[in-house]
Amino acid sequence: MIETENLTRKFGSLTAVENLNLQVNEGEVFGFLGPNAAGKTTTVRMLCCLISKTSGKARIGDFEVGSEKDCLAIRKMVGLLPENVGLYESLSAYKNLDFYGKLYEVPLQKRQENIERMLKLLDIWERKDEAVGNFSKGTKQKIAIARALIHEPQVLFLDEPTANLDPEASKTVRDFILDLKKEKRTIFMNTHNLDEAGRICDRIAILKTKLIAVGSPEDLERGTSNRKTVVHLESVSDAILAAVKKLSAVKNVRTSENKLILDVENPEKDNPELVRAVVKAGGDVQFVTELRSSLEDVYLKLIREAEAQ
Amino acid sequence: MRLWKSWIVTTKDLGVFRKNKYILYSLIALPILLGVLVPIILIFTLQSEATTLTQAQLTEAATTLVNLFTAYFVIIAAILPTIIASYSFVGEKLEKSLEPLLATPTTDGELLFGKSLAAFIPCVGATYIGALIFVIIIDTWSTINLNVFLIPNVYWAVVMGVVTPLVCVLSVEANVIISSRVNDIRAAQQLGGFIILPIILVMVFASTVTTFPLVTLALILSGALALADVALFYLSKATFQREEILTKWK
Repeated sequence: MIETENLTRKFGSLTAVENLNLQVNEGEVFGFLGPNAAGKTTTVRMLCCLISKTSGKARIGDFEVGSEKDCLAIRKMVGLLPENVGLYESLSAYKNLDFYGKLYEVPLQKRQENIERMLKLLDIWERKDEAVGNFSKGTKQKIAIARALIHEPQVLFLDEPTANLDPEASKTVRDFILDLKKEKRTIFMNTHNLDEAGRICDRIAILKTKLIAVGSPEDLERGTSNRKTVVHLESVSDAILAAVKKLSAVKNVRTSENKLILDVENPEKDNPELVRAVVKAGGDVQFVTELRSSLEDVYLKLIREAEAQ
Repeated sequence: MRLWKSWIVTTKDLGVFRKNKYILYSLIALPILLGVLVPIILIFTLQSEATTLTQAQLTEAATTLVNLFTAYFVIIAAILPTIIASYSFVGEKLEKSLEPLLATPTTDGELLFGKSLAAFIPCVGATYIGALIFVIIIDTWSTINLNVFLIPNVYWAVVMGVVTPLVCVLSVEANVIISSRVNDIRAAQQLGGFIILPIILVMVFASTVTTFPLVTLALILSGALALADVALFYLSKATFQREEILTKWK
């Protein structure tokens, strides 16, 4: 649904996005992570035809980003939730949505139905005629999300969708995004919230001007560091330590209280042998668990590596 | 260009202006004040001369003064867009509502035209309200004292019907250009105020010209204003580029 090939944007001597190659599939929730000024918003703006690209190619569906004749079609098929909600504070929630519905050429009856459905879903229907300026940040964010969806776009770009929300409102928005995923909408989400990205994104890309990594949250967690096996014992003895150190699959071992923390090449293959060796050396095994890097660890590691280069 | 798209933007902006009391009061206060004050001053001036002039002389003096003071409404039509056009564009930027607006399937020209129209309609409307008050007061006095309706006359009709809207368009366009180069509404309004100066100079100059009939002069001025409007429209269109707005508007 979204495809970029060496997509680059420069502002004078500053390169905001460099040779970005991405492919986002239809119906996918795609997370776009990166520090401030990594080029995330610039990428979204290029893909929404708001700013031009310096070089490279990008397509949304069948349309070419940057082509003057395709830009209106792209804007019609995408919805955008920008970083700043940008609602008209003196107008009501209903009038804000109605205005955008008209600009997106949604017929009157459909527009009324969509506004009612979304405001009810986001629990704002009772306050539909109140000026937006009276609402909390979280409620404004919800209205802005409804605005991005007023024309039922095939592709939705969300820039920090839960940035201003309390935990309950964040969950409402997350659940809403997951509902949209069920409707096979493609969602491209810029976020700093790694926990949220891990929970709702099918795949994640990490950007720092250049693309650093892309994959599912699980792949990223596994792929960037050695997987560790943790063996919880009643007590750790020298004999047990000696026994596990003899195993060729074990690259490193350390202890922490009554736990052995081991670097193993292939846990699925090597762990049974490891457990047998521990038991044979007199160890009483209580639990065997895996110690994975969190998405946060992966993200910080990759960003630091990119900064060091 | 799809005018219905522009009209959507216009009606939204008019709705926003209606809710903003500062805009509403600023827009109405000046034309009403001048619509009432100018004829009162004019009537007092004429009344003080009434005993020394014949009715024909008084009618001629009244006509000359009415024609002269009509220029005030042209100046109002130039001033009012500095209030509203600066809100129309810089206000949108301050509310950070430009990005979602620019992301809609609307062309630069449609947005520009819609926003310009939203600034133009209330400014011309308010100017006409002031002018109507002026006409009512003057004609009430003139029918009682001179047995004639002094206005509307041909000169007044050309000035109000042609010159005033053309000046208003010029001011709106100039304010669009200014608002793309400034940080806040006050700066936009202060700079926009400079647009009034050349217009005042032209109107003062026009009122002193005696070699041309007034109507001919007003028509020549209209032609020049129409050309300036077209030139400024292309300049404002060149300024109103969505990429420029998103990346360079401060």
